[in-house]
Amino acid sequence: MYYIVVAPRRTPAGLLLPRACACLILSICCGVASMGQKTSESAIATGAHGVRATHILGFVGARKNANGALSIQADTLQFQSSDKPAAGVKIASVQDVVVGEMSTQVGGLPMTMSKAAVPYGGGRVLSLFAHKKYDSLAVRYVDADGGIHGAIFQLHKGEAELLRRELVAKGVRVNQTETGAARGPAEVPRESK
Amino acid sequence: MKASKRTWMSPLVFVTLTFMPTHLPRLAAQVAAAATSPSSDTLAGTQWSVQVMQIDRGDVNLEPSFQIAIYENLLNELGKIKRFKQVFRDGDRSAMNEANLLILKTTVEQYTPGGETRRAVTTVSGATKLSVRSQLCTRDVHIVLEHTVHGNVRFLGSNLRATHNLAHNVAKTIKQASMSEPSHFSPSARGEHDFVPTGSI
Repeated sequence: MYYIVVAPRRTPAGLLLPRACACLILSICCGVASMGQKTSESAIATGAHGVRATHILGFVGARKNANGALSIQADTLQFQSSDKPAAGVKIASVQDVVVGEMSTQVGGLPMTMSKAAVPYGGGRVLSLFAHKKYDSLAVRYVDADGGIHGAIFQLHKGEAELLRRELVAKGVRVNQTETGAARGPAEVPRESK
Repeated sequence: MKASKRTWMSPLVFVTLTFMPTHLPRLAAQVAAAATSPSSDTLAGTQWSVQVMQIDRGDVNLEPSFQIAIYENLLNELGKIKRFKQVFRDGDRSAMNEANLLILKTTVEQYTPGGETRRAVTTVSGATKLSVRSQLCTRDVHIVLEHTVHGNVRFLGSNLRATHNLAHNVAKTIKQASMSEPSHFSPSARGEHDFVPTGSI
């Protein structure tokens, strides 16, 4: 009895799979890059409604990592998030305002999970494009008992400096030496886009 | 044989049935009390209050946002461990009236700026590393506790996550350390030296 041995041929599905993966990675890369561009080109929302900011920590009455509007209302520095009543401190109690830079990966946990799921280390390539630079605004203020508080906000690039100037115009003292140090890169220079 | 077994079993069942409902709640209460009641060391710790001073960055070029984040996270984490009666902020006037007050001074010794993107791309590099010297002392500058504590972010999380990890480690170190009772320090010395807050964010 003879058997005819046929060499295994690559099926069309077998050929398509790597190509599909490559296309997926490429499209995600392009999408992320364009998303970053769009957000960086977004108009700076200043004025009576304030600037869009993310409260990182320290502002009394505001939730950590809450998104909202940071504004100056009369003599108060106010943070208004969508789900909570506005939190504010008197500008007179603000002792120092420092502007810095920070670079973070966009997309949060879903993006991190997606990157982990991309095969052939494609997630790492995505990470190269999926980061965005922000301004950080560090505010030091005192409460009624004299206790010192510190708050950090994350703002779109260029907005923190505007807010700082506005606060300085309202009479907030700024420690020049600290500000000089703060302008240094928050991350290693290699990451600069 | 069967009759003897039955005679054996019946007192046992009786004892079990009488013992369980009467003693079980008491036993459970004792276990719960043992779990919640503080040890003598913790009890000594609760008599202290602590005032967290602003972070002294020393010679290290640390960003002000990191200084603020360490300070705020320390206040948060020290409140969580429940070892101190009260946790005061730097400059808080109500801390002046506190008889048994410890002062937490934190000096940054080492700071290695990392990068979230570098971590995400390479996995092995880009870690943000912080190292601080943490001193817990009395008003008359008697050092009760001194430790060098580290806080790093190696894989996931933003750079500021290092400050949270650092504060958590400082709080953990203080929680695990044994501290003397406030009465061990001379009452005459206490209150004579008002601590002058130093350092700036």
